[in-house]
Amino acid sequence: MAAPLLVLDDVRKVYTRGRIVRRPTFTLQANLSLDEPGIVGVVGPNGAGKTTLFEMMTGSNAPTSGRVLVAGTDIHGVKYRERDRLAIHYHQSYQVRRFRKRVPSALLAPSPTRTPLVHLFDEPQFNLQDGYIGFMLDFFRKLRDEGRLVILCMHPTAGWHLDILAEIAGRFLFVAGGGVTPMADFGALVADPRCRAYLGPDMTKAADAICRGAVQSST
Amino acid sequence: MSMLEAAGVHVRFGDRVVLESVDLAVAEGEFHGVMGPNGAGKTTFFNVLTGRVKPSRGKIRLGGEDVTGLSPHRIAAKGIARSFQIMTLFDEFSARDNVMMGLPEFRARGLDIARAAAGDRRFAEQASEALVAVGLADRGGIRAKDLSYGDRRALEIAVALAQAPRVLCLDEPTSGLGSDGVQRLATLVARLKGKLTIVAIEHDMEFLFSLADRISVIHWGQVVARGTPHELQQNEWVRRSNLGKFA
Repeated sequence: MAAPLLVLDDVRKVYTRGRIVRRPTFTLQANLSLDEPGIVGVVGPNGAGKTTLFEMMTGSNAPTSGRVLVAGTDIHGVKYRERDRLAIHYHQSYQVRRFRKRVPSALLAPSPTRTPLVHLFDEPQFNLQDGYIGFMLDFFRKLRDEGRLVILCMHPTAGWHLDILAEIAGRFLFVAGGGVTPMADFGALVADPRCRAYLGPDMTKAADAICRGAVQSST
Repeated sequence: MSMLEAAGVHVRFGDRVVLESVDLAVAEGEFHGVMGPNGAGKTTFFNVLTGRVKPSRGKIRLGGEDVTGLSPHRIAAKGIARSFQIMTLFDEFSARDNVMMGLPEFRARGLDIARAAAGDRRFAEQASEALVAVGLADRGGIRAKDLSYGDRRALEIAVALAQAPRVLCLDEPTSGLGSDGVQRLATLVARLKGKLTIVAIEHDMEFLFSLADRISVIHWGQVVARGTPHELQQNEWVRRSNLGKFA
């Protein structure tokens, strides 16, 4: 059997403050496996650790402990320039953070693949006017159908953001307070009280309406 | 066989992947539109087609011939002409001189403009033909900087046409034009259509959807969608948007 597409094996990232006495300021933990090709929605409040999670998944920010495996390969053991041949992070240029490269590239392994297996879209700019949403969503489906894993992070601030998530994502990750919770589907995500608190009353109402619509259309 | 073909073009600038495996096949006489948000990689793709950027992987073929990695002037000599998003004209020279400088035989004679122009009427005639083609027949003697913005855009196309290209690449031809200018450019492109293979990056969707035979949508350095304008408009989200209006 082929290795799961993305595994976060007991991954922990601890940010510390102070040079002599290191006090942890933030800890993110994740232990999850995304075995099959698919589209995974990621939501969670600012400061919850989403960016750190993505940086670890795509190999730019090394975890304090644990391993990130992309199709069985530890991405943090791959040459820096070739990590995006395993997992690629699409972001706005202002989102890019640079990290120290501790091991010389020559000592690291080449990437076993030439085209990325994990595609991570960090808050893509969607707007209703220009029509690109439709092309983007079809593109996510195409990647999935080619056997890749698409991870889509969004901050739902309008009803149609939720429409997009409900339409496109098969599974979800909810990131909050330094933890990552997998959710089986949109309904499970919206039912979680922490997610409802994050969404706020208006977005929760819109999300519930989408869930009711889905129930009605399936009966 | 395609007139212009890109296969698996991959470009990276430092740590950043700018184009990821871009494919394109443009048939002879086709007008192929390229659209996409800012920073999507459209102009970089043009720079690969015209030899300004060397792809780290992938091939460019013109009429079946591999032209990957050739210098810009060699690619131009093979028959790919382009216009730029930012205008590149010799402001102090007349419109006709600008076009003549686009003629390959003229350039081969060196840069002594006065002697070359006086010495050979043939170049001037060729230049006049290109000026006629873009509707600038009566402006040949006017200095480029004294032309209106719309005329300057047309002149850029004339410079490209003078090279008798097999493929014409236009980088945002309507940018900076008013609605009458866009209309005039649309008429000009409609006239060239079919006779010339054209690839155009364009933000003006009305222009693109009314003229293009097929459109490639580039985003995140990849072709995310491709089809005829009609096919692209079948998408439900597209119909909900402003693009839906151009059906």
